Amino acid sequence: MMRRARQLWVIVFFIPLAFLGLFYAYPLLSIFDVSLRPAGILDLSAFVRLLSSDYYIGTLLFTVYQAALSTVVTLVLATPCAFVFARYQFRGKTLLLSLATLPFVLPTVVVALAFATLLGKDGTLNDLLMAFFTLESTPIQLERSLAMIIIAHVFYNFAVALRIMTSYWSSLGFRVEEAARCLGADELALWRDIRLPLIRPAMLSAGVLVFIFSFTSFGVILILGGIRFATLEVQIYYQAVNMFNLPLAAALSLVQILSMLFMMMIYTSTQKRLQLTLASSAAVAKRPRTLLERLCVSLCVALIAVLLFAPLLALVVRSVLVAGQLDLANFASLVEKSRGSLLFIAPIESVFNSLRFALIAMCAALSLGLIASYMIERRGRWSRLLDPLFMLPLATSAVTLGFGFIIALDEPPLNLRASWLIIPISHTLVALPFVIRSVLPSLRAIPASLREAARTLGAKPVDALLTIDLPLLGRGIAVGATFAFTVSMGEFGASLFVAQRESVTIPVVIYRLLGDPGFASYRQSLAMSVLLMLVCASGFVIIERLRIAGVGEF
Amino acid sequence: MLRIERVSHAYGEIVSLRDVSLDLEAGEILCLLGPSGCGKTTLLRIVAGLETDYDGAIVFDGEDIRPVPVHRRGFGLMFQDFALFPHLSTADNIAYGLKRLGLNRREIGEKVQSLLQRVGLEDFDERDVASLSGGQKQRVALARSLAPNPRLLMLDEPLGSLDAQLRDQLALELRQIIKSAGLSAIYVTHDRREAYAVADRIAVMNIGSVRQHGSPRQVYRRPSCAFVARFLGLQNVYSTSDRRITSLLSRAGGGNWRIGSSILIHPAGIRHNGGQTNDAIPTELTLEAAVFRGERYDLTATTDSGLPLSFDLSELPVNVGEKLTVHILPDAIIPLDD
Repeated sequence: MMRRARQLWVIVFFIPLAFLGLFYAYPLLSIFDVSLRPAGILDLSAFVRLLSSDYYIGTLLFTVYQAALSTVVTLVLATPCAFVFARYQFRGKTLLLSLATLPFVLPTVVVALAFATLLGKDGTLNDLLMAFFTLESTPIQLERSLAMIIIAHVFYNFAVALRIMTSYWSSLGFRVEEAARCLGADELALWRDIRLPLIRPAMLSAGVLVFIFSFTSFGVILILGGIRFATLEVQIYYQAVNMFNLPLAAALSLVQILSMLFMMMIYTSTQKRLQLTLASSAAVAKRPRTLLERLCVSLCVALIAVLLFAPLLALVVRSVLVAGQLDLANFASLVEKSRGSLLFIAPIESVFNSLRFALIAMCAALSLGLIASYMIERRGRWSRLLDPLFMLPLATSAVTLGFGFIIALDEPPLNLRASWLIIPISHTLVALPFVIRSVLPSLRAIPASLREAARTLGAKPVDALLTIDLPLLGRGIAVGATFAFTVSMGEFGASLFVAQRESVTIPVVIYRLLGDPGFASYRQSLAMSVLLMLVCASGFVIIERLRIAGVGEF
Repeated sequence: MLRIERVSHAYGEIVSLRDVSLDLEAGEILCLLGPSGCGKTTLLRIVAGLETDYDGAIVFDGEDIRPVPVHRRGFGLMFQDFALFPHLSTADNIAYGLKRLGLNRREIGEKVQSLLQRVGLEDFDERDVASLSGGQKQRVALARSLAPNPRLLMLDEPLGSLDAQLRDQLALELRQIIKSAGLSAIYVTHDRREAYAVADRIAVMNIGSVRQHGSPRQVYRRPSCAFVARFLGLQNVYSTSDRRITSLLSRAGGGNWRIGSSILIHPAGIRHNGGQTNDAIPTELTLEAAVFRGERYDLTATTDSGLPLSFDLSELPVNVGEKLTVHILPDAIIPLDD
């Protein structure tokens, strides 16, 4: 009987691996195959074209350039803010630090549209400036500019950098600084000789992470930049969907995959250096006293508030104002399918699609993630390998995944191309690392002796799982579920590839509506974005509430 | 009642138990005493059924219990870290095993109350276990493992994480509770004082095997080997080939020690002013150090030949650096196995 139970466990344990193999490794290998052997034999012409074309070299260089620029701007803004957050205690600090993470769960389409609404040609800021200064022409000309892309990237990544650097700085404390001051260092020398050199590991780690996020950014660039500002991601999408040049798209994907692999390696090594010193943490914040200190804190708070809330506020206000009046007509119009639209359905129907897919993806990611977490936690010979293995989808761009899906899963025996199932499957893959990262810390925190105690008190193995593990994992599971749900609701890159006709999701609909000419579609896209933002923000609130108890590691 | 028959166990390459045989009578408290890493906890886990990969047999009431899974053994185990369930209240922790037995709510409630009373925590039933002090946690863990009326109670360093003062008091209390419940128990510890206070019988373990077992008094008075002697804090262990000891041994007459083996000069047999028998060996010593311990002085002195001796006296007879004469009882010279 015990042997059969053990066999059953082995089978259960292999389910997540099988899922990863089928829906991650197989599509990725298909990309390799299409790029290296488009006609069944080794053919590197796509690569040769890629590397000999100034255009595609330009794409690659621009991808690196915009990512580097986003990283630098983010770090320049986040470093002083991190210092202020670590150094000073002020009211609302915890809330602000928590709120600053909100963009992390906001879908790219929503953010892109929010910035377009705030800073675009007919944007809120231009309207306000023109009304205030009675100007004839629009003062802000950011439409389809690199600056707009960079600003949106900073919006996304600011909190990531802020959190990493703040916690590192808090853990370092300010003793060294006090010592330097006693030895005669002035403010300038402190920054040059003490603060910046000390914070460098955290800055490096944050910088690499921001670079990775910006390098793989898709929705923001597609919507705010267009093909003129094509990065690798956008180019893959463009070549695959608009030009049907699959070998070239595959070759670009391969470049993307290899770059990601390289960057993840660098990130992991910077992480290691960070963990060494993060051991001790002391409360080192003090109240700001001098006028200068107060000014710094105020500036910092203002920067975060403006960066975070201005675009989202502009989006919400624009969506509920019709001809200067408060009116929910935009939302009411969602039930209509506008004529001549690229959509096959009324926008509101995509809400039901998204909810359905998100629920399925949540359940699937939760089941697979729980099993995977137990596999990793067993501390066997393979667990060291398993953890990074299950993190791979996080390190793979959504566009690459979506592209892999459509070229790999389009023929028997596994033809999912026309099935709506392909969407929740792709979302499950993207959500899986989030579930594992949420569950694993709680799981690791359960001492083995608790289960053993339960067993000696008469609990069967299954009883011990249900009465000990499950309640103790509760918060972790809830955080993971919310993450999975939110990630699925907002997923854009992969969905754009795999969502077909009637089964489109909210982000895809928003993108399609933006592509439609006509004011009606634009108003519908505003209303849809606000709806999606509310769903994701609710998810964020739940996660942050649960996280106060210290669940989740990122 | 419980027989441990030639049990061996290894963690990979590292042998943790080597051919261990022990038995336990009904109602007896057996103490496994030894330094950390000696295999005592592993032996406990094997008996509990938590380690299944071992050679030999665990026989309970005449039956080899190897195929019986942990939850069907009905053995209580109290963990070193107490392993209290953090998501359950104090009462629910104690009720956990009772629920597995299928008792109804009323029965469980009554049993929990009487257990709380027995361990002196009457009003703690709804308390969050995280808010309990170390000593209180220890009591809850004890009550929890007592609750399902275990056929055998095992305690793995149950006082290990508490401070020394609390430990002395609780060791006695533990013995009384186990005895009043009429339980058979295996008690694991590395602290000899704790073992003396709790055990009916002590098995001293080292590197995976039992070196000696017997009553606390037997083990202390007649340690079988150098390891046991030293582990019990008896420091006067010498090799018989040590030149400094030959004159002492020759004066003691024909002992049965071999050249090259070890002997112990038990401090309980070193007398000063009274208590000595006629055949006691008078020995002149120089006092090297004296440590005041309150009720006793711990003394270190050397013989003329330079042999160091440790013993204790209730009064300081001379000042440090001065000479004194002690009498060594012949039966204080104990031959030791290797």
